[in-house]
Amino acid sequence: MEDVDDASDWVGLPAVVKAQVLSGGRGKAGGVAIVRTKEEARFEAARIFGLRIGGERPSALLIESALTHLREMYLSVSLDRGRRSFVVIASGAGGIDVEAQAGRVIEAVPVSGLPRETAIAVASRLGIRDERGQAPLVDILLKLERLSREEECELAEINPLAVDAAGGSPIALDSKVVLDDNALFRHPELALLPPEDPMEGEAAKEGFAFVRLDGDIAVVGNGAGLVLSTLDLVSDAGGRPACFLDLGGGSQQDRVEAALRLVRRLPNARRVLVNIFGGITRTTDVAAGVKKVVMEAPMQPVYARISGAEEEEARRMLQGTPVRLYPSAPEAVEAVVGGA
Amino acid sequence: MNSSGIMLPKEGEPVIVQGITGRYGSLHTKLMLQYGTNVAAGVTPGKAGERVEGVPVYDRVADAVEKTGSRCSILFVPAPFFYSAAEEAMQAGVKLLVAITERVPIRDTLKMIALAERHGATVVGPNTPGLIVPARKVKLGIMPASSFRPGRLALFSRSGTLMYEIANQLSTHGFGQCVAVGIGGDPINGTTITDFFDWARDFEGADAVVAVGEIGGDAEEILAKHIVETGFSKPVFAYIAGRAAPEEKRMGHAGAIIYGGYGTAESKISALKDAGAHVGMTPMEIPLLVERYLRK
Repeated sequence: MEDVDDASDWVGLPAVVKAQVLSGGRGKAGGVAIVRTKEEARFEAARIFGLRIGGERPSALLIESALTHLREMYLSVSLDRGRRSFVVIASGAGGIDVEAQAGRVIEAVPVSGLPRETAIAVASRLGIRDERGQAPLVDILLKLERLSREEECELAEINPLAVDAAGGSPIALDSKVVLDDNALFRHPELALLPPEDPMEGEAAKEGFAFVRLDGDIAVVGNGAGLVLSTLDLVSDAGGRPACFLDLGGGSQQDRVEAALRLVRRLPNARRVLVNIFGGITRTTDVAAGVKKVVMEAPMQPVYARISGAEEEEARRMLQGTPVRLYPSAPEAVEAVVGGA
Repeated sequence: MNSSGIMLPKEGEPVIVQGITGRYGSLHTKLMLQYGTNVAAGVTPGKAGERVEGVPVYDRVADAVEKTGSRCSILFVPAPFFYSAAEEAMQAGVKLLVAITERVPIRDTLKMIALAERHGATVVGPNTPGLIVPARKVKLGIMPASSFRPGRLALFSRSGTLMYEIANQLSTHGFGQCVAVGIGGDPINGTTITDFFDWARDFEGADAVVAVGEIGGDAEEILAKHIVETGFSKPVFAYIAGRAAPEEKRMGHAGAIIYGGYGTAESKISALKDAGAHVGMTPMEIPLLVERYLRK
């Protein structure tokens, strides 16, 4: 809390206290507060640190001067999947729920970059037509688009951009960047950033996809769509998934082992559901991996549906292990949710 | 080729495998040959003169095209080299590219799409299991052949394993496929599901379409609008995965992510239902719906 005092001395009061989290919707979740005194700053800081925003506790706070400004704007460069193009989105009003507001300006960005004329047109359509007001905004737009393109961001956003009352330069009060993970091989310096979740980072290294969820049934399968649909089956049956774990195509035994060992360490996972439809993935490789992990150390109960090529052999390999086998996905789901 | 501009490979169509000497490239060359696909040539720079499963390897796509007359290529090239491999194929006159490669940067995909438009080429993927035409014994992909049977359903899917699982259940229930295509799990696909519906509308061998979608983006919403606007008259069956998925989390596929309420399964399901599609709540329900509405 001394840090909060120091920070409010440094930026001056009134100030704004903001939770630093990786998800959006922070304002709506109560993660932003305006404070007028040091006592208020300490109170709000403690309150915000106690919040859970998008399943995450704020790791840090941003305390900044509460500026008096004429207007707040929203600027972003993001991928528009429907148009199959990056687009600039600008709106006269920043803050929360920008996506839901009318009066936005949207312009496609060519693969080669945003032309200055388009940036000028965006400013004009926002009603900023005089040269003195337009120049800094055009400059920021062009720089934001260049950042997005050169660093290969999926999203580069300034929200809000404060245009102050004194006619000075606009100030970015907050910003957010989502990188294209698949382009990190061209940006080794960005690849050094820590993963959002240490277990997710570990999974990525081992070559499978893992997303932590807040239920108690770990859901493991081969193929993103199959695991997604298994999550749906589990929650339709009244269960709550503890994670999404996609082993990926053509799963080798060592990857299956690494995945199950990670699930074993997942504190909220009380039961494990394994749903495999073998094709290119060999069901016998999966069975060998599962067998090795469940036999080497105690593990949560494992419920499995293993179907596809060589399934008889795979099932035979798991006989005599604690793994409970079911002939179909719905039957395995019913059993794991019921905890039978 | 029909009015959609999409050209499906014919029986015996010569095919090039780019990245044939890699682990996946060589494994799937073997499996595609087993299925009956005419893999006529492979390409890996610096490996000219080698053979993989008896298939001759060339340094350049242009050489492979010259020797075989092929206009179809399947790419197993690693992501960092994917864009230049696709560009090389298009410049050599390849008109159908099936991009198995995963983890292609979005901006490379966008550049590739612009290039494909200039060359009049069709790209399936990236991050796709490929396509299969059972009646023509053509498999340009990594899907397990055993799930698919010749028939009269067109199956389009954003997910690989779900496509195999649903195809397998359809086949078991006596509904074969005239084609099954993986659209790709990325946020941007070379050929959209809407493009494939245009193909299916004009293809006489397709009685109905099965669409398998998932959370993320608005491809299914765009498709639903297209179905209504074009008066698409063949029955449509659909399944959308990810009703239980949280927001702002990438669920395995680069494209499977909900942002601020955009890309939810609910939005896709209601759009498709409004467009008259029969939407199943589980993959297991799809063959039952097909049975109910197609065998009347």
